[in-house]
Amino acid sequence: MSIVKSSKIHPLYDKLTSIVGEDRLNDNPLIISSYSKDSSHLTDQRPGIVVMPTSVEEVQAIVNLCRETKTPLIPAGGRNGICGACIPRTKGSVMLDMVKMDQLIELNEDVMTVTIEAGLRWAELIRRLDEHGYKLGFRGPYGGNAATVAGSVSLNSMGYAASKFGPAPEGVVSLEIVLPNGEVIRTGSGWNPDAELFTRYSSFTDLTGLFIGDHGTLGVKTKITLKIYPKANHSTYADFGFTSLEKATTFFYEVQKRGLTEELNCLLAREAADTYFPGLLDSHPEVNSTLHCVFQEIDQQLAQRKLEIVQELAKEFEGKDLGNFAAQIHWAEIFNEVQPMYVNGFWLNTCHLRPIKRLPELMERMYEIFKKYRLEKNGIKWIADALGVDRSYSAAWITIFAPTKDKMELAEQAWNDMLNAALETGGCPYWTGLLWEKRALAKVHEPFIETYRTIKRAIDPDNILSPHVFGGV
Amino acid sequence: MAKVDFSNLEAFKDELWICGRCGDCSLADKTVASNRGVYHPCAVKNVLGFEAYSARGRTMIMNDLLDGELEVNQDVVDWAYTCTTCKSCQETCAATADGIRIPDMMEALRKDLFANGFTVDKHETIEDSILNQFNPYKEDHSQRTLVFGDRVFPEAADVVYFAGCTGVYREKEIVTTTVQLLDKIGANFTVLPDERCCGSVLLRIGRVKSFEKLTKHNIEAIKRTGAKTLVTACAGCYRTWKVDVPKEGFEYDFEILHITEYLDRVIQEGNVTFVSSENLKVTYHDPCHLGRHAEVYEAPRRVIESVENVTLIEMETNRRYAHCCGSGGGVKGTYGELADEMAADRIREAEATQADVLITACPFCHRGLRDGARLIDSNIRILDIPAFLLNAELGSVKSGPEGHPMKPIFMDYLAAHPKIFEGLKSGAVIDYEIDGDRFHVRVVGKSEIKVFPHRAENPDVELTFSPRAVETLVTFSSEDKYAEKFGYFFKKPTDEEWIRFNLRLNIVKLLMKGYRKFAQKAGLI
Repeated sequence: MSIVKSSKIHPLYDKLTSIVGEDRLNDNPLIISSYSKDSSHLTDQRPGIVVMPTSVEEVQAIVNLCRETKTPLIPAGGRNGICGACIPRTKGSVMLDMVKMDQLIELNEDVMTVTIEAGLRWAELIRRLDEHGYKLGFRGPYGGNAATVAGSVSLNSMGYAASKFGPAPEGVVSLEIVLPNGEVIRTGSGWNPDAELFTRYSSFTDLTGLFIGDHGTLGVKTKITLKIYPKANHSTYADFGFTSLEKATTFFYEVQKRGLTEELNCLLAREAADTYFPGLLDSHPEVNSTLHCVFQEIDQQLAQRKLEIVQELAKEFEGKDLGNFAAQIHWAEIFNEVQPMYVNGFWLNTCHLRPIKRLPELMERMYEIFKKYRLEKNGIKWIADALGVDRSYSAAWITIFAPTKDKMELAEQAWNDMLNAALETGGCPYWTGLLWEKRALAKVHEPFIETYRTIKRAIDPDNILSPHVFGGV
Repeated sequence: MAKVDFSNLEAFKDELWICGRCGDCSLADKTVASNRGVYHPCAVKNVLGFEAYSARGRTMIMNDLLDGELEVNQDVVDWAYTCTTCKSCQETCAATADGIRIPDMMEALRKDLFANGFTVDKHETIEDSILNQFNPYKEDHSQRTLVFGDRVFPEAADVVYFAGCTGVYREKEIVTTTVQLLDKIGANFTVLPDERCCGSVLLRIGRVKSFEKLTKHNIEAIKRTGAKTLVTACAGCYRTWKVDVPKEGFEYDFEILHITEYLDRVIQEGNVTFVSSENLKVTYHDPCHLGRHAEVYEAPRRVIESVENVTLIEMETNRRYAHCCGSGGGVKGTYGELADEMAADRIREAEATQADVLITACPFCHRGLRDGARLIDSNIRILDIPAFLLNAELGSVKSGPEGHPMKPIFMDYLAAHPKIFEGLKSGAVIDYEIDGDRFHVRVVGKSEIKVFPHRAENPDVELTFSPRAVETLVTFSSEDKYAEKFGYFFKKPTDEEWIRFNLRLNIVKLLMKGYRKFAQKAGLI
């Protein structure tokens, strides 16, 4: 059923209609308006037409049509990323709204994997696995209520449980991908039609890795196979306070490298705690930075023992025991923590990766920028947070909030300096998109990006998939 | 591009700008990940698919309209009337204290569209009918009271039963069963001989000019009966009287009760009980006007659960996160097929409970759900609450089921220690549960609370206590000691003594509402 009818002006309207029918595509400017942005303020071109496929066969047919007509094709997931990755760079693009492809295809308990369609959202997948007694490793980005698994994998997303399980791509065993030539391939052990999807690394080059973080430039992901784990019902929590960021990050590193925590979250400054969790440090005036630990195990004693080890470590590193309320709430409010911060204004983010030991250096630069632009006087609040990831690094996000539209210009000036500072102090963005792309391309080692472009030219000679991303071909 | 004056929508421009487009209003499933009953909140988007129909898409489109990026044409008008204004998106939204107010924005936009000459033909007919016949259905006003048959009503009574146009002209069974039910329980009531449309439809479709006249007429008519209470079985009328009429600046000195609240009161007072002759599993659909818009969730449930031999099974989405049936906001009248598809989705949810009966408390919902069931050949019985109760026999009046023995002790303890709630703003509501038995505390002033013996309609926080934890807590004469132990049970629970939280508001909103002080006293932060 459709209420707002298509304008029928897109050149591929009729042919796309023959693939998906009239109700699952639309080129009316009103409908297109609702696909013009993600969760950032960044804009470029609007899609020319939006199509909602429901099967790999439909995706194949759309890809073939776009290739034959040399029409740009942009795969899009939940469209709530904050880097403008799903925003087309060219006019007249066909945007694939993948959220109708959201089925759980197979839960394979023998090999502990789950295969899902690309448009399934993280929170929904967690629920479906929970019903069967399983959990994911990496649980999803902070926007995991709406973010799709394929979207996150295409952007190297960071988020919940990265402390124990690493970023989104680490959980991937296999991908089903529609290539620009219309062929469908399965990566990992999927190269063998008689094999189950049980391992990513098998016999040949790791083709899975080629498509991870590709920002939709090399293929359209239609299925994803992820690792699963037995549900762990026993949790313990701890909050610690430190008088300085240096002390906090030293402790952060010591905990993270031991691999004890499911989730490890560091508030890098007292002001950040005031924005994120008002009142958290009212009773602790000496505390300037906090660390919040979540332990989750299949056995209570195990969860308790890990907590004790970290508590012992905290004593050694002068950490003040703050209880466990913030850590409990952090974990209970999974996927709901960022939204309440909108009350401070529209957000401008700097999400990126960096070694835990280089967090203080980042904050020094940030304080200089906050001072330069007199953020406090201008009512621009900020938060500085870092999530532990895989042994020794972190996903850092220093975010400022423009309280009103008229403060946006000033906030953007500060934000641009912040993005520069993040890269200059050794940060690497996990996603690129409109947020980071120009800065990343200005720094990238030419042979590195040329290797990618050689692959892109070989796979997508007509450059139909997400053209101009990563500087195009 | 035609110049359009968005004077009503402009009032929301800051809020529209602040929306971060997180997508919770469109795609969230919070049932397991964060223990809230949210599942794909927008029933319209669930049918039509495109983002334009979700709240996130609507904010983008309205921003484009205000910025002149999008031309106002008939497509915009068509789209504007696809929203049922059910408020599900707003309940889901955590971006502002109230959530992004999409229903208010859509109604503001509709007013602007109408004021700028953009109309929907069906709405012309509806408005004409209300102006001339005082109902939206082009029915003869002089025939309005025929629905009551030969029943003679007194000129004055304690209660006025406000029947509503949909009941009188389209869902007559709801009116007749309500009258019979009120008779059956011995209510002292009457009806208005010249009742006119409450004006709900006009507000929803943005044609507000006749609202004042209708409201003034009805208020005067009610005053003439001397009634202290207006009871209605229509959720649309209820919301209009309870929320919209005061919001539009009218005053009245009678109480507004939905029939479910009235019955709940009578049952709670121990004056009436009902017994079903057969064992029934039932489920309940929350009308949006009664639930999200007026925050009446528990009274209908208490009424249903009070009926002997009846078991209430909740649908996957219920209470504040219940899916809309599609009949509100003028959608049923404007896009009947869309409304039926939405209702069919709700019927599927009801069927999944394996209930024998789907009960609702609104003639719009009742009608819409029946149409939805017809669409998918569902055999589930759909009854409005008065009809459901009329099927039951009156039981002998007896005391209610025995609750947990610690409940009255805990209630008395809290009532005697209002200092526990020091710092909480007036209106804060905390729900308490001990072994499934519930009560709630409402903060009504500075260190002033009221304790109610039943579940809260819309609490900020739900607290579940082990009985042993309560036994310990009520021994403290000092509120500070109580808070300290409370915090201890949360931070270091044992198998015997524990407290669990279910936050119904996000942490920032809770702290802003004054929970910070308590959390600090409890050593939680």
